[in-house]
Amino acid sequence: MTYKEYLHVLKEHSPYDFSEYSDNSIFRRIQKVMRDHQISLEELGARTQADKLFVEEVVEAITVNTTELFRDPEVWRFLLEKHLPSYRSNNFINIWHAGCSTGQEVYSLLILFNELGLLDKVRVFATDISQKALEIAKKGAYKHQLDRGCIENFDEVFNNHSGRSVNFSKYFDVDEKKDEISVKPILKKNVKFIRHDLVKKELPFYNKMDFVFCRNVLIYFNIKLQTRIVQRFFDSLYANGTLVLGAHEGLSGFFKTKFDRQGPVYKKSNVFHFRY
Amino acid sequence: MEVPDRNFKVVVIGGSAGSFLVVSKILSQLDPEFPLPLVLCLHRLKHVRSGLVEGLNMKSKIPVVEPYDKDKLKPGVAMLAPSNYHLFVEFDSSVSLSTEEVHNHSRPSIDHAFSSAAYSFREKTMGIILTGANKDGAKGMKSIHDKKGYTIVQKPSTCDVDAMPQSALKLFEPDQVLAPEDIVKVLNGLAGL
Repeated sequence: MTYKEYLHVLKEHSPYDFSEYSDNSIFRRIQKVMRDHQISLEELGARTQADKLFVEEVVEAITVNTTELFRDPEVWRFLLEKHLPSYRSNNFINIWHAGCSTGQEVYSLLILFNELGLLDKVRVFATDISQKALEIAKKGAYKHQLDRGCIENFDEVFNNHSGRSVNFSKYFDVDEKKDEISVKPILKKNVKFIRHDLVKKELPFYNKMDFVFCRNVLIYFNIKLQTRIVQRFFDSLYANGTLVLGAHEGLSGFFKTKFDRQGPVYKKSNVFHFRY
Repeated sequence: MEVPDRNFKVVVIGGSAGSFLVVSKILSQLDPEFPLPLVLCLHRLKHVRSGLVEGLNMKSKIPVVEPYDKDKLKPGVAMLAPSNYHLFVEFDSSVSLSTEEVHNHSRPSIDHAFSSAAYSFREKTMGIILTGANKDGAKGMKSIHDKKGYTIVQKPSTCDVDAMPQSALKLFEPDQVLAPEDIVKVLNGLAGL
């Protein structure tokens, strides 16, 4: 059995379709599952057909859940200083955080809105394929963060530049003994965490969005799947809506004309483009 | 020193401590018409993200770029793995980025860059491991070797820190062990795609 054949088995016998993920990283993730369970690809295929709980375990293992608070501080500083203030006149601000994983960047964004006095206008729909990641996201408690530069990132956004000064403890309870930080309740009231597989067409909400955040998620998909998903983002956004991707993710082909780049973010273009 | 007579699809160079100077030297002496795609996977400090690509470009004879996800490899262009991302070389000559777990305390991980190239291009992969203070890269070099790719290890006596070349040498016997000036000669003797 080849990896591709295994992905086909998985697609046939579960609700999950990884067949359009980037080859090299998905194959490596499958290898990891094989190593962890000490089984061959054939055995993996057989168990995938027979055991639904095992499939869930496999899906948790092959999806990537690494994320961090304020990853790429310069992007968040741009949003805080240059981009978000223009939303002051909005009555509400709808945000889809697609592929939110354990939620650190959801809370990063909510902190920005709170600093701008806009938190009450915000409604966040945060989605992810991983149930485990969503449970952690809902709790908002993160272990082993203190050595991972999250406070450095925080200071880089709020304290190392301009005259602003924001204390980390304004938003997080820090338990140094347990090496754990927890998000304060104020950040949790405007966010719904919903399980959703981006590969699927149906969306778990009907709202139009002012923002779609999807950072370092599309990198795991091949170009064809990326294009379909970006089309869905485009359709979900209001005219003038904003798409925020990872620092090294770009838009290809047709979408370059449908969005205007503004610093590190993409604005839905006002120009109507004919499709020939 | 021999120049392999083979049509490679990619040359991947990995290094960490002290490798900036070596890579810089190699790039500065490269034939401006270097006919193959080059991938550079260098350990770098997470928060010192700016400067490396500019620094390398100052002396390099070929352009050095930090790719966006799914950018295609191009002959005569060096792609530098971006800070805080792993880089994988894919079958269609594009590169995929990933924020997966750090590997050997590193993101980008040199093992990942090497093994993905070996997996995609097998014997048409050349891997070069330079000076460094970590064992990252050794396993990836071995996977290039196992797939009959071509492997060059920087001569330990010419390294600032020789842990990385030494751990590669422990795992397999490379095609050549060379000083940086000879690595340049090999690269400048290579044929195009």
